[in-house]
Amino acid sequence: MIEVKDIHKNFGRKKVLKGVSFTVNKGEITCLIGINGVGKTTILNAIMDLTPIKRGEILIDEKQHSPEMYNQITFIPDAAIMLPGMTIQQAMDFMKEYHSVWNEKRAKDLLRFFKLKVSDKIQDLSKGNVAKVNLLMGLSLDVDYILMDEPFSGIDIFTREQITEVFSSRLVEDRGVLITTHEISDIEHLIDKVLLLDDGVIMKEFYAEAMRENEGKSVVDVLREVYEG
Amino acid sequence: MNLILNKRDPIYLQVMHFLKKEIVAGHLKPGEEILSRRQLANDLKINPNTVQRAYSEMEAEQLIYTEPNKPSKVTEDPNVLRQLKSEWVNQAVKEFVSAIQTVDITIDEVTDLIKTEMNHHKNGG
Repeated sequence: MIEVKDIHKNFGRKKVLKGVSFTVNKGEITCLIGINGVGKTTILNAIMDLTPIKRGEILIDEKQHSPEMYNQITFIPDAAIMLPGMTIQQAMDFMKEYHSVWNEKRAKDLLRFFKLKVSDKIQDLSKGNVAKVNLLMGLSLDVDYILMDEPFSGIDIFTREQITEVFSSRLVEDRGVLITTHEISDIEHLIDKVLLLDDGVIMKEFYAEAMRENEGKSVVDVLREVYEG
Repeated sequence: MNLILNKRDPIYLQVMHFLKKEIVAGHLKPGEEILSRRQLANDLKINPNTVQRAYSEMEAEQLIYTEPNKPSKVTEDPNVLRQLKSEWVNQAVKEFVSAIQTVDITIDEVTDLIKTEMNHHKNGG
């Protein structure tokens, strides 16, 4: 379990996070929703220990940040993560070299699934294919937790469908997934837990299926209530 | 797969409803294997936990059964199947009656309409 406990973060005088708390459980897809510029990426960076926080605590399986945690958790950002001059093969070789938890078989499965060519250079790929390469690199690590920043942002509908399929497949089974998005309607059926981030705090936290069952509301219905109500 | 999900009803119930319909309609036969949880989640692009819930509920209702390390199968118990069918028809009749109860029409007229409609379907209409 990833536990985010009352974290605060300022950029200059601007308070971006004002006491954010939530958990990410294994075997669940947790979705952090908020309009752009509200601190979603900052939260992911904080979990990865890539940005210092002012107050609060983040625990991964009850432990504080340490170098070992990078064998447990991976971050898939929305921009290209590999050097643009590399081919996909070179990028995979780099990952294999660098990470002891690299799973070559899974990487090859994903390569086939995404129909990517190993000889293609990252700089020549479409935005959709860059997203696929990023997913391939992240999902091929045998880690317990996967963080993804806006995996569906700015890509074509067919790539979206493929990525959605990845989420309902063995590739993420039993792992804890945290994704951020500002566009929820495509993936409402896919996610377990929803966190609504607004004005530096989690305004609402709920399980999508329980919301449908107990209140007859879709995730978008709840969003509308929070943002317009 | 011929299932379009709506966003406001619990997905596990929509999945159960779909599978029950397939059983009642005879598209899924007694003893026939049903899709694995993983395959169904993937086909519908929904959360595997949700499919798991639908299958567990259907197991509890004895509509499907699962032997260790094998795909789930449709029940072969005639009593369970009979009950499912009668529940299905009862529900449909209830909805039908509630839809027409405010309309000025006699039972005989309704019965005739139903007969005509059923014949129409029987003849492949």
